[in-house]
Amino acid sequence: MLEITGIDVFHGDLQAVWDVSLIIEGKGITTLIGSNGSGKSTVLATIAGLLKPVRGSISFDGVRIDTLPAHKIVDAGIAMVPEGRRLFREMTVMDNLEMGAITKRARQMKNETMAWIFDVFPILKERARQRADTLSGGEQQMLAIGRSLMSQPRLLLVDELSLGLAPVVVQKISQTLDEINKTKGIGIFLVEQNVVMALELAETGHIIENGRIVGTGKASELLASDQVRQAYLGMEGE
Amino acid sequence: MEFAQYITYGVINGSLYALVAIGLALIMGIMGIFNIAQGSLAMIAAYGSVLFFQHMKIDPFVSLALTLPGMFLVGVFMYLTMFMSMNKFDPGQKLRNSMLVSFGLVLIMETLATILWTANERTVTTAYSGTVMALGDLRIPYTGIATIILAIVVIFGLHFFLKHTTFGKSIWAVSQDHDCAMLMGINVKRTTLVAFGLGIALSAFAGAVVSLHTVSPAVGIDWTNKALILIVLAGVGSINGILFAGLLLGIVEALGVYLVGVHYTGVVGLLIFIIVLMLRPQGLFVRKAGV
Amino acid sequence: MVERKKGLVLAAAVIVALALVPFFTVREYVFSILCMLFLYVTLSQSWNILGGYTGQINVGQAAFFGMGALVARLLWVAGVPFYLSILAGGLGSVILAIIIGLPALKLRGHYFAIGTLAVATIAQITVGNILPGISFLPAQQMATYSLIPRYYVFLIIMAAALAVIYFTVNSRVGLGMEATRDDEEAAQMVGVNTFKYKMIAFLISSFFAGLAGGGFAYFNASYYWYLPFTLMWCFEPILIVFIGGVGSFLGPVIGSVCYVLLKELFALTLGEANLLIFGIVFILTILFFPKGVIGLPAKLRQLFYRRGNVVGR
Repeated sequence: MLEITGIDVFHGDLQAVWDVSLIIEGKGITTLIGSNGSGKSTVLATIAGLLKPVRGSISFDGVRIDTLPAHKIVDAGIAMVPEGRRLFREMTVMDNLEMGAITKRARQMKNETMAWIFDVFPILKERARQRADTLSGGEQQMLAIGRSLMSQPRLLLVDELSLGLAPVVVQKISQTLDEINKTKGIGIFLVEQNVVMALELAETGHIIENGRIVGTGKASELLASDQVRQAYLGMEGE
Repeated sequence: MEFAQYITYGVINGSLYALVAIGLALIMGIMGIFNIAQGSLAMIAAYGSVLFFQHMKIDPFVSLALTLPGMFLVGVFMYLTMFMSMNKFDPGQKLRNSMLVSFGLVLIMETLATILWTANERTVTTAYSGTVMALGDLRIPYTGIATIILAIVVIFGLHFFLKHTTFGKSIWAVSQDHDCAMLMGINVKRTTLVAFGLGIALSAFAGAVVSLHTVSPAVGIDWTNKALILIVLAGVGSINGILFAGLLLGIVEALGVYLVGVHYTGVVGLLIFIIVLMLRPQGLFVRKAGV
Repeated sequence: MVERKKGLVLAAAVIVALALVPFFTVREYVFSILCMLFLYVTLSQSWNILGGYTGQINVGQAAFFGMGALVARLLWVAGVPFYLSILAGGLGSVILAIIIGLPALKLRGHYFAIGTLAVATIAQITVGNILPGISFLPAQQMATYSLIPRYYVFLIIMAAALAVIYFTVNSRVGLGMEATRDDEEAAQMVGVNTFKYKMIAFLISSFFAGLAGGGFAYFNASYYWYLPFTLMWCFEPILIVFIGGVGSFLGPVIGSVCYVLLKELFALTLGEANLLIFGIVFILTILFFPKGVIGLPAKLRQLFYRRGNVVGR
């Protein structure tokens, strides 16, 4: 279970997140939705340790992690799929996966994990010796997910899964994420602009606006709520 | 036959150029730090070899066991005190500041070396200095053969390390995407520290070879000059390319000496430098332009 | 607009006042220090138009400074009138800049810096090989040597450099330069010919560096031919601009004043270890004031209102 308690986060001098508290259940799929610039990616970057909260704390399964450097947070069992995929472009698919398994624990299981990822995304096996920048957008997103899974996380953070991908591809990948969650019990915390996709995939949803949490509920209920329908789907309330 | 003799010297010189340039190329390509003190560090390492030989009769190739870790520690010290703080800058500012700081280091090392060891030239004279292998009419100094072998082993070894070992690959990953490397669990601080130390340690190889020729405090900047030409010829980010660029420059310079005389070797270097810049500005051994 | 006019009037007044100095003192020491100051203002401002305003870090300023000195000195010693020699020196630098700039300015970032530094080191070594000796003035020119005309030459070069660079960076061309510096790709996308602006900046920069070199050749009775090509001339202008503040017009002037005074102080008091201490101060300046003296107020403010929380980098 990931517990975020009252964090304030700054980008330089600008405050991007105000007093955000969230509880993310360990086994399920949770989403944080919000428009561009609402602070949702900042929350994710703070969990991953790229940014540090000025106030508040974050703990994972009872261990405080907001004081740890980013690479120790990976060690603690949280991996992130960054926005825009951020692959190591000049490296092969295999080498990218290897970079995901850099922590001591992950390195020991490297071959087994890689076999599992090739099982989940067979296309990556076909492309194993190709450079990452020769892959299609969808394949790159699969590789980015696979690379983060290499660290054997208990919680996977996903930043803007659907960015720049065709709807068919998004659907396929989100199904795969669902399977990974159900079969392996890896928790998923998804941050998305594509509100429908996110709320259909997740069990629990949170809404962030201007750096503050403004709504929380069961995903299916949020999807049906006036708040979401008006603000994000451009529909009038009933 | 004289012609072949010139080419032989060109190959030997070119190997030495490559040995000096490889550390600079690594640090620049991987970290975006422009360390123009690399030649001066090779000069300091060379004095290390000279002193070990004079006082303890240790052969320069043997004293590498001491100068390599020594230069690694120098690199670690340099990184922690000066270059690490530049990581927060954008690439242009990092380049400029690192270059200025390393120029300050050039001044310090040159002056210090002059005060400690005078401006006179020094050299190591071993039992094998001046001995040659005869191939027909061709005379190849044994030190030259050692230089060529060392350059090949060091540069291909480094290439292998970066492309085929996990730690090497993680250095490479950090250079491609610093933040994302952190997200993968790579200890970026430690990785960059070791990479920088390694780049500086490489100057010990060049130093050992230089000590068999001549060392003086002023040679540092000459070696840096050769290294810069090699990096432009090879292209930033190319490791193996450095060896080929070194051989190219060495051979072209030797041709220049053969054809127009020793005073104009610099001009010959300048000419191929400008020709490459015009025809293949991204370097001879790099696929894409833009750094 | 009013502010700007006031500034120009003030600048003109300072130049006129400097022109009157020889009527009040004849102390050679004052002249030679002022000559060096004018030289460094010219050289660093010429670096600034390319490095500060256009964002292209030229680490080879010595090549252009040296080229100006070499051409001017050769012609002048051969009997060509000095004003023609120094202009020829400036032109020589411009030609070198065209040869180097056409290929090099198409490249970004690291390449331009490495390329220009390589050109400068090659030029230094080559000139050192071909002309290893010292250049002496012929007896007849030595006999008429006086510091006053040197003083005016440096003053005129500096005034011209300041005026040309000021009006260039405050014109439409200057806007193009700054657009190129801030985001080259974005500028190209909206139709700015970034290469043109880089080239203009490079040509102006090299011309005044060449004139400053010509002044150097005129000033010194004897020097090693390679001396104006040494790498100090590459790094000094960068350090000066750096001390004063990059991309501001007054930065190089403030920087030059600080630099010349500091250098003089060290040379007078430290003897052999002069360059050693100089190197250390050089490094400390860059490490502790990475944005220059002009960034000092902002740095102090930051210390007092510490709120930044970005880590890891």
